[in-house]
Amino acid sequence: MHSLIQLSIVVLLLPLLSFVILIFFNRRLPRSGDFLGVGILGTAFALSAYIFWTVIVQTYDPAFRIAWDFTWIDLGKVPGVGPLQIKMGVVIDNLTAIMLAMVTLISLLVHLYSTGYMAGDKNYGRYFAFLGIFTFSMLGIVLSDNLFSIYIFWELVGLSSYLLIGFFFEKDSAADAQKKAFLANRVGDIGMWLGILILYSQFHTFSFVEINANLAAGKFALSNAWLTAAGILLFMGCVGKSAQFPLHIWLPDAMEGPTPVSALIHAATMVAAGVYFVARIFVMLTPDALHLIAFVGASTAFMAATIAITQNDIKRVLAYSTVSQLGYMVLGLGVGAYSAALFHLVTHAFFKACLFLGSGAIIHAMHHEQDMRWMGGLRKHMPWTFATFTLATLALAGLPLTSGFMSKDAILAGAIGFAKVEGGGIFYLIPVLGFFSAMLTAFYMGRQIWLVFFGESRTHLKPAEDHHGHDVHDAHHGAHDDHDCHEEHHGVHEVSWNMRAPLVILAALSVFFVYSPDPLDGAKGWFMKMIQTPETVVGEASLQKAAALRSGVAPLIAEAVLPPAGHAETDSHAAAAAPSHAAPAGVHTFADPRQAEIAHAAHAAHFPAIYISSIMVVLGISMAFIVYVFRIIDPEKTAISIRPLYLFSLNKWYWDEIYEATFIKGSIVLSKVFAWFDTNIVDGLVNGVAFTVKKFAFANGSFDKYVVDGLVNFTAFSVNTTGAVLRKLQTGKVQTYVVMLILAVFGYFVYYFTRLVY
Amino acid sequence: MLSLIVFLPIIAGLVILAVPSSQKQIIRIVSLLASLAQVVLSVLIWRAYDPSLPGITAGPGGSPLGSFQFVEKLPWISLNLGGFGSLNIEYFLGIDGISVTMVILTALISAIGILSSWTIQKQVKGYFILYNLLASAMMGCFVALDFFLFYVFWEIMLLPMYFLIGIWGGPNREYAAIKFFLYTLFGSVFMLLVMIGLYFSVIDPVTGNHTFSLVAMASQENYIKDAILGPDNVMWRYVAFIVLFIGFAIKVPMFPFHTWLPDAHVEAPTPISVILAGVLLKLGTYGMMRINFPLFPEVFHASMYVIGIFGAINIIYGAFCALAQQDLKKMVAYSSISHMGYVLLGLAAGNSEGMVGALYQMFNHGTITAMLFLLVGVIYDRAHTRQIDKFGGLASYMPVYAAVVTIAWFASLGLPGLSGFISEAFVFVGAFSSVTTRYIAMVSVLGIVFGAAYLLWSLQRVFLGKRKADAAYDIEVGEDGHEHIHFHDWKGKLDLDGRELAMLVPLAVIIIFLGIYPMPVLGMLTTSINKLVEVLSPVVMTTMN
Repeated sequence: MHSLIQLSIVVLLLPLLSFVILIFFNRRLPRSGDFLGVGILGTAFALSAYIFWTVIVQTYDPAFRIAWDFTWIDLGKVPGVGPLQIKMGVVIDNLTAIMLAMVTLISLLVHLYSTGYMAGDKNYGRYFAFLGIFTFSMLGIVLSDNLFSIYIFWELVGLSSYLLIGFFFEKDSAADAQKKAFLANRVGDIGMWLGILILYSQFHTFSFVEINANLAAGKFALSNAWLTAAGILLFMGCVGKSAQFPLHIWLPDAMEGPTPVSALIHAATMVAAGVYFVARIFVMLTPDALHLIAFVGASTAFMAATIAITQNDIKRVLAYSTVSQLGYMVLGLGVGAYSAALFHLVTHAFFKACLFLGSGAIIHAMHHEQDMRWMGGLRKHMPWTFATFTLATLALAGLPLTSGFMSKDAILAGAIGFAKVEGGGIFYLIPVLGFFSAMLTAFYMGRQIWLVFFGESRTHLKPAEDHHGHDVHDAHHGAHDDHDCHEEHHGVHEVSWNMRAPLVILAALSVFFVYSPDPLDGAKGWFMKMIQTPETVVGEASLQKAAALRSGVAPLIAEAVLPPAGHAETDSHAAAAAPSHAAPAGVHTFADPRQAEIAHAAHAAHFPAIYISSIMVVLGISMAFIVYVFRIIDPEKTAISIRPLYLFSLNKWYWDEIYEATFIKGSIVLSKVFAWFDTNIVDGLVNGVAFTVKKFAFANGSFDKYVVDGLVNFTAFSVNTTGAVLRKLQTGKVQTYVVMLILAVFGYFVYYFTRLVY
Repeated sequence: MLSLIVFLPIIAGLVILAVPSSQKQIIRIVSLLASLAQVVLSVLIWRAYDPSLPGITAGPGGSPLGSFQFVEKLPWISLNLGGFGSLNIEYFLGIDGISVTMVILTALISAIGILSSWTIQKQVKGYFILYNLLASAMMGCFVALDFFLFYVFWEIMLLPMYFLIGIWGGPNREYAAIKFFLYTLFGSVFMLLVMIGLYFSVIDPVTGNHTFSLVAMASQENYIKDAILGPDNVMWRYVAFIVLFIGFAIKVPMFPFHTWLPDAHVEAPTPISVILAGVLLKLGTYGMMRINFPLFPEVFHASMYVIGIFGAINIIYGAFCALAQQDLKKMVAYSSISHMGYVLLGLAAGNSEGMVGALYQMFNHGTITAMLFLLVGVIYDRAHTRQIDKFGGLASYMPVYAAVVTIAWFASLGLPGLSGFISEAFVFVGAFSSVTTRYIAMVSVLGIVFGAAYLLWSLQRVFLGKRKADAAYDIEVGEDGHEHIHFHDWKGKLDLDGRELAMLVPLAVIIIFLGIYPMPVLGMLTTSINKLVEVLSPVVMTTMN
């Protein structure tokens, strides 16, 4: 076993250890054991940093990959298949190394931050335990080398998300939100599970490497439509976990969880797991599946951005912004901008975690006020938070010199290139939606910054009856009630060092030079050099080969006609297919002609994308200035004049109401119908049969009693009666008998002579 | 060994007979000791079991004992019937991969049921005698390899169950007891007919006599070609398969023969529910795997699709019915129907993955559902109600109970890391890989979502949020300023007490351990399942005359 593998397993298990210790012993440990949680995560991060250093910095090889697995379940010699084993394993490549470092770093920072934010909560120790199991599950997803273990950790991440969203479970809204999150994720998960099943049913393996090899060899025996279906179904897992339309509805509600949790799980890591997963299965996605993914991503990015512009809750704005940014990543993968999408995943993780932790600091300082309408003027009171929050905002909006600028532009360039290669038309909708969302992003973030940090404090404007009612949870209530929050920012102060340090670190990671020496081109940086778009295994070549195998054409002939399209093979076929695309420097070459064309076109679209998106960002920010700083356009009046549109956005496109009216109501009605059917029809039949049998038995009994037994009794009765009558004759007196005898003889003679006479 | 494990409870029952009925504690302890001895024996069997031997059938030219283990074979009843030849019934016990897991499960659940019976106060002596008789009969069913013996155990099981529900049950107990009794009896009448038909169709290859041996019956070459259930009599073989299937399906219970189950569970006392769901239901699917399918492989092959559809109906229909229930115990009962549907679906797949999943699901459903019923019993003891909307916010006041409930509920909804997930996953893997049941599997995955829906919803209504206005308990503020709750007339510990933990913790540990590392159980059954799949795959019927 490679030493890096051993280290990575230690990294994986450390948070689990933290969970086990803290869940059982938190009440017996000093400070509820929070130092243990932080310490263990610190160790995990140190080890991950070492792995990162070794893999990315020292090795610096795009093709770096080591793996290890063991037999988890041995099914023996299965008839029809042969020896069958289900393996579990760990893989480390550049993507894993980066994700490991990112997840453990953000988790560590959130642990540290939580020691301040959650201080005084009655379930403080349990909170850190839950953070531990979350980190464990997330690292499991990152390290998995097969679909089965990804699915396992996927659901465990869902569990930890469930536990943390409902951390304040005494609030009904939190309990509702945790259930909603779990169920929405499960809907996505069953799709993902079916996708896994399609692939397993063909190859009897869950391993990525083996599935890819089989696909590349054209061994997929079902039709290509099934292959596309497999890709789309697997993508459904991402739709659930990464909150893509139409399953995005759970993420905004998930903000019921503690704010550091929102930063860790619902912004930086877990929701990005969906994107990570799509990246892992990227090579097996057919062009049709990719098209659908691109459209889902683009529409999610756009829809969420339009909702974010009208939300008043500081966390909800960020939540919808997260949904929108995840849409960008998914869009990026769909258009084939693989490395750009993952680049955005990482940059977004840092700046969005910074934003959420910043908003947590604000909420903490404002005594659990989350409504931006009653904030304002905070920059004077919270300079550190203000500075870091602003920097992260600029990165999110995508201003030059930030990390977000580079990654977002790389995605948008990919989108333009994709639309061009796919033949324009409807495909141009994808970059258009992307650019438009970029403008909206700049607008809503400008609005947020202004409402929160600038102007004068509006705390006193808050309607009295709404006071304190928004998001109070008992623990903090108790801890901070001594401050009177009704006074104008009387108690508002900068947060303590353990909450400030994470903000600074995360903000520092939102600057361009961390990733690339050239602020205008992420492709020149280490990230995009290390994470390169992999060669598809379902390119035209392997699809044709599969079709040939299916149609019964001898495989030998197929092999001869079609050169194999393998992972590492860059052969003359590709060069012949795209002769004009002599790869420019820095652009990876592809065997698959479609991939090669898109990569080329995306490279060409790099500068146009920068120009357009910069214009869009400037437009968005100017709009925010016009509306909120100079107040040339009054937001309230505008909201009234475009009321239907405003309400449409404010009410989140009414998705919750639509789902409530259809799926939820439908399920409940259906369940009642089934229960009624069960009691009245199925069981009614049973009881009916019993009733009939019983009636028949009673009828039978009556027949027996009155007819059969009646006959018996009648016989007895007749005998009895006859006997009773005859008994009268049996007096026992000789005289009587003699009289009877004489009478009889006399009677006989009378009879005899009567007959003689006539 | 097997005789001992089967008859230990009956011996305990005989001992109890001699104990005066006022000595309740002695009666309980004797029963507990017997069941603990059963557990120890089952562990010994587990240790000594050789997983490389397949069992199932003797196979062509194999030993008449097959490759069964711990075999005990004695002539039991031999009658010379003159013109009909001789009637040979054997006392034939043995286990293979299919039964060894069930033996362990039965021993475990019986012991936990005894612990759970500690609170029974009414006619303790009679209760434990019947309970022990039931425990013996269940164990006997799983180890019997002679069809007649199996049938005897199967019928013996009915009697104590009838009285345990009918005397110690809830308000509507008599209805439930008679329903259970009649339903099962209805199934076993058919079984009796098929059994006799099989007897006259099968020849023991060694003695040349007719035989009830299931090992001999599982080899198609032992059938007389033109006998009533011989290979030539295609129609009668179908009829026999179907009626036998119905007999077992009632026990599973399979839609539409399931309605006895919710009634029986709602009325039965907690330990009997545990036994019923934990072990008895498995007898239905065990019977299918041991008798119904391998004896009629070609009919099984033709009916896989239908069985799969019934499995899917069970899964989805059960889940929806569970969603609508107001009574927590009834919800768990319907969840059993849903989860047994997975077993049917896995069996219908007819491949190793599906069958392994089905058998593993039987084991896991036994442990998980036992836990669910015990937990429902815990709250019923305290609140004297099981109405879901009579609680709310319990997690704040009974944290240990809430934590254990969370484990059990999540195990039931198939969370990875807990044992139920692996079995459900394998059922789906198998069902999807089989071309016959592929589309059925695609529909059945909806059960995963709706399973989560009813479980999470009930979890929320009982444990999360705040106390409902008309809850079955009151909130008091204690001297330390903390809130406590108080159930009317409950004198015991509010949160789980030691006895309850002693029942629940072992189950939870097993569920978690087998969810992470399933091989201790799977390792025992894969060889047998692979053999079973071979037996069941379409074969050219070869017969001896």
